[in-house]
Amino acid sequence: MLLITCPVCGVEGDETEFHAGGEAHIKRPATTDPENVTDEAQRDYLYMRKNPRGIHFERWMCARGCGKWFHAARDTVTMEFKAFYGAREPAPDLGGTASPKAATPRKTAARRKKAGGA
Amino acid sequence: MTGKPYRLPAGVAGGTMGRSIDRIQRLSFSFDGKTFAGHPGDTVASAMMASGVRLFGRSFKYHRPRGVIGSAADEPNALISVGAGARHEPNLRATQVELFDGLVARSQNNWPSLNWDVGAFNSKLSRLFPAGFYYKTFMWPASAWMFYEHIIRRAAGLGTAPTRPDPDTYEHMHATCDVLVVGGGVAGLAAAQAAASTGARVMLAEETARFGGSADISGGTIDGKPQTEWAGSVAADLAKADNVHLLPRTIAAGHFHQNWCLLLERVSDHDPSLADGGAPRHRLWRVRAKEIVLASGALERPIAFANNDRPGVLLASAARTFIARYGVSPGTRGVVFTNNDDAYRTALALTQAGVSVPRLVDTRANPEGALIDLARDAGIDIATGTAVTNVEASGGGRNIEAVKVAPYQHGGRIAGGEERIDCDFVCVSGGFNPVAHLYCHTSGKLRFDETLQTFRPGETNDALRVVGAANGTFDLADGLKEAFDGGIAAAKSALGASAKSASAGKAPKAASEHEGALEPVWFVPATGTLNEGNKHFIDFQNDVTAADLELAVREGYRSVEHIKRYTTLGMATDQGKTSNINALGVLTDTLQSPIPQIGTTTFRPPYTPISMGAITGTKTKRLFQPVRRTPPYQWHLDNGADFEPVGQWRRPYSYLRNGEDREAAIKREILATRRAVALLDASTLGKIELKGPDAGEFLDRIYSNIFSSLKIGKARYGLMLNEDGFLMDDGVTVRLGDDHFLMHTTSGGSDRIAGWLEEWLQTEWFDLKVFVTPVTEQWAQFALAGPKARKVLEKLDSNIDFSAEGFEFLSMKEGTLAGHPVRAFRISFSGELSYEIATPADYGMSLWTTFLEAGREFGIEAYGTEALHILRAEKGFIVVGDESDGTVTPIDLGLNWAVSKKKPDYLGKRSLQRPHQSAEGRKQLVGLLTEDPQQVLPDGAYAVAQVKDAPPMDMIGQVTSTYWSPTLERSIAMALIEDGRNRMGDVLEFPLEGGEVMRAKVVEPIFYDREGERQNG
Amino acid sequence: MADAKLIGALAHRGDVERQPGLSITLKVVTGRGMIDLRGNAADAKFMAAAKSAIGVALPTAPRTSATKGDVTVLWLSIDQWLVTLPREKLTKTFAALRKKTEGMFALATDMSDARTVIRLSGDGAREVLMKGTSVDMLAPDVIQGTVRRMLFAEIAAACHVVGAEPDVLDLYVFRSYADYAWEWLLATARSGARVRLYGPQDIPTT
Repeated sequence: MLLITCPVCGVEGDETEFHAGGEAHIKRPATTDPENVTDEAQRDYLYMRKNPRGIHFERWMCARGCGKWFHAARDTVTMEFKAFYGAREPAPDLGGTASPKAATPRKTAARRKKAGGA
Repeated sequence: MTGKPYRLPAGVAGGTMGRSIDRIQRLSFSFDGKTFAGHPGDTVASAMMASGVRLFGRSFKYHRPRGVIGSAADEPNALISVGAGARHEPNLRATQVELFDGLVARSQNNWPSLNWDVGAFNSKLSRLFPAGFYYKTFMWPASAWMFYEHIIRRAAGLGTAPTRPDPDTYEHMHATCDVLVVGGGVAGLAAAQAAASTGARVMLAEETARFGGSADISGGTIDGKPQTEWAGSVAADLAKADNVHLLPRTIAAGHFHQNWCLLLERVSDHDPSLADGGAPRHRLWRVRAKEIVLASGALERPIAFANNDRPGVLLASAARTFIARYGVSPGTRGVVFTNNDDAYRTALALTQAGVSVPRLVDTRANPEGALIDLARDAGIDIATGTAVTNVEASGGGRNIEAVKVAPYQHGGRIAGGEERIDCDFVCVSGGFNPVAHLYCHTSGKLRFDETLQTFRPGETNDALRVVGAANGTFDLADGLKEAFDGGIAAAKSALGASAKSASAGKAPKAASEHEGALEPVWFVPATGTLNEGNKHFIDFQNDVTAADLELAVREGYRSVEHIKRYTTLGMATDQGKTSNINALGVLTDTLQSPIPQIGTTTFRPPYTPISMGAITGTKTKRLFQPVRRTPPYQWHLDNGADFEPVGQWRRPYSYLRNGEDREAAIKREILATRRAVALLDASTLGKIELKGPDAGEFLDRIYSNIFSSLKIGKARYGLMLNEDGFLMDDGVTVRLGDDHFLMHTTSGGSDRIAGWLEEWLQTEWFDLKVFVTPVTEQWAQFALAGPKARKVLEKLDSNIDFSAEGFEFLSMKEGTLAGHPVRAFRISFSGELSYEIATPADYGMSLWTTFLEAGREFGIEAYGTEALHILRAEKGFIVVGDESDGTVTPIDLGLNWAVSKKKPDYLGKRSLQRPHQSAEGRKQLVGLLTEDPQQVLPDGAYAVAQVKDAPPMDMIGQVTSTYWSPTLERSIAMALIEDGRNRMGDVLEFPLEGGEVMRAKVVEPIFYDREGERQNG
Repeated sequence: MADAKLIGALAHRGDVERQPGLSITLKVVTGRGMIDLRGNAADAKFMAAAKSAIGVALPTAPRTSATKGDVTVLWLSIDQWLVTLPREKLTKTFAALRKKTEGMFALATDMSDARTVIRLSGDGAREVLMKGTSVDMLAPDVIQGTVRRMLFAEIAAACHVVGAEPDVLDLYVFRSYADYAWEWLLATARSGARVRLYGPQDIPTT
């Protein structure tokens, strides 16, 4: 049971309060140039997904809270969340590898206080 | 089963034995139908042992007689079933079941009875039951497995499941704490006290009914008091505190990511009267802990020697526990066999209790230390450099007569002749293993400790600290300091700056006898001729012997994980509590590599089994799943509604009147709609308001057709595609104002579509200014359909003009109707003149009955979902989920008119242009008329290119909707057929199960009122 | 012909007034009008318009509420509020809100009938809720006025802490789920199943 912090409203809660939305930062080609989307671009947009051992940037929604979508960076090895950030923000630079050491609850707690006051 | 009384007299050893029981009160219980007596505070195991009972069950594979080995969760043998009938629960450890008056227990895994067991024949055939026996024997021929399986399962099952519904209640409870302490022994108490002193919210889970752990069998003092006294005062302080929650009778079953734990509290198992008062039987705690302190202690491990499974061979600490806690001796004359100092405490306790200890057998050549001196002073006969090699028993292995001992050399060799020592029980200790199961459930890695010869916690990613014996810190003083420091550190880490520091106090000071090092001993070879009787059991519950492990290695298995699966070592409810390390110890000789290189198997949750009822919690019967009710639900219920689930909604499928069947009811409802007027509860339809300057543009991107051009007060049917280009929802959207729309979705799609709209606004089209508010729950909505619908409305007081001229098809008006505020729409899903009237939900019941009263003179009927579906099928209207299945485009359905060619972009547009989706000959929607009008095609029937005697046949499509039409008095169907629109007039064949073939003609998918005149009234 | 009548989602139940054998008291709160209001909290004009129509400034701190007289505004999201007020005031306030926010990027919807409000009162009310939600209702920041949206008993819900010591909690559930939520509360609030988390306990056996 993952522990997640919504960067929009600052709420911290079990993953059952949230909704997982898969890989983040996927561009929809038709939004920018609907007339010139190749079959390959459409295929990549619809079906090609990363499956990294390490940091995965992903979409979550604060389903039972403020209802807003946001992004998270999660280490798929330790399950630790490295960052929570807004749906319009670019992926943070986290070095891109899994960290063997983590102290997840403490870090998220600190983040909650910050977000809660914002 | 002899009846010798083994309960020690109250006055023995200054009255210190049997501290947990109330000797004055007596309880009566039954085991296999025989009545036994015990005292409050007893377990089933202790009470039966007090009556001289040794035999608790038969082993899993060989059906050998088995008795109690441990005193707690580690017990692999004494599995019993408790409770009768629907309350029957199998596989409980007799050592953990608290006694109450009237308890009913049964033995397991024996037939026809415990004492005369037919399966014990397996013992004689044990050459046929080597490691991997099941794999080798029953895998061929494959077809016979079903037959073998039936017999094996019946003979070898671990108890039986109850067959009747569980009458008890269960529930879940959530909690968040700063520090969760697992284990209520002295280390857990010290950790909890330390953590609580900082102001942290602390939960302390203890598996048994009592706190203090092994305080009562360990000697030593804490803060100058006996351990039990100290434990009592700390537990009392913690109970009074307002930031601590004590959970007795609670196992920490599993540890999951980010310190989420499952705890099982056995609330009323020990006292059924609590359940009568409304208490649940079990409560499953779902706990999120900022920090965890694991103080789960250690479990003693046995040493394997020949016939080490005879009833009466038990762990040394268990023997001591039975004496100290329950005043029960395992026998009258016991040999103690050890490789470490702790078992000397058992020899001393037995001696103090007046039980004879003819020999203390120690594998070590020169043990020294305070406990050894104490034993010598007590006059105990100590044989050093010696091992127990075999157990002699009579009565089919049930009664121990003697043990054989022989000189033992370091490394495992027997060097010299055997001596026979008369005894009736054996206490064995091979050292202690930390209980690190929870530590391993997520990320914890164990490391091997050469001194302790066991695995200890190493590194973890979790906010989890292991203290005391669970961490391999067996010295009392060191363990308590570690626990105290761990409690403080955990609390500070959880609380950060808000932790109080002043009242933290000092770590408790403990004193106990210093203990010398143990000698690693896993296996003592038997002397003399090896035969089947001389089995060295490693895993008692799964009947795995040392020979099985050696055989597995000889057969080429190297990985411990493979050996485990091949031999079944460490599986089932026991999860290797007493066997894992011993197995590795045996394998280290066979594989000739050290234990750390062999590695250990994985501990998986739950630590001990948890009940299915607890997992289900409250979610049974009426609370099995959330059920949604529409505003007139009670009317439906009172008027014969035959409900069907639609998502979580319950909708009337039809209304059964005066004993009619479904078919008659549906016919009545449909004919009323076609000939007079009928009323449908359509409140479940999804309703979403959209408002903002970009609402029109947004709808143009969401729907495949255009909505920005819709005029205020007008309605339009629209299709929604997913990004794959397939139809996902449909409905009518109305323009309420310049920048304000009301969308209708399917009943099943309402929540999903609201989420879909939000997702696009929040994650893709950031520039669009649109607010989306789902309003489904606010409105009751009813369809009033039929040629007399307008007459009903015109009877009622209203400021709305319902006339044909005043209220055009596909338009909407707001106003009042018989005093109800309403939104009225002229839309039709039945093909008849139809109005859909929405009113705020609390007015729903009132408006519903108002319509029925007003319509009575016109013959109004309420109609359900099946009539609705037939009415729409007669008109050829699609239902998303029937005519579409996630692979169907609007073009396939012939809905080209609702797919815009002008718009540069909308969801799904680009995918519709992919080669496969725009290809010729795709499955297309057609109508079907069976050649025999009385025949109704089965739902989902396949049309084939050519009927053959047997499958496979080339399938060219399938029936999507099929009904008997009361209106047309014949069958009708819709289907998706390859290249269907080019097959008009063809006759297709539908082979059915049983060889029948139905034939149907392909027609346009519309069967009634082709010109659409009826909906105009 | 029958007059238009308001009938709530739990009106059919015989146990709404009194539920014997429970550790807390359950009650249905009726007579409230509710307006769902969407708007941009950073838009000063919108915030001012809303305040002037409702009479209470919209709370912007997450999970809070604002009350003035008989009007309470619950924070639901960064751009969403639930205005609750006596039902007889609804029409006027709703009209005022629509009028004053006209032309603005805002959406007010009358949601008076969309939710059923169940009031839990008494010692242990928070623990009863916690049998159905993972939200820590005992956290120090859950105080009088707090609003927590949550997954409760598998359905969407919101809890408004109306009073503390003794606890008075208003549980907002969608109307169609009201009967289910009520059943859930009856099942989990039984006296014999009472849980008092962190409070003083009986001295345990050692």
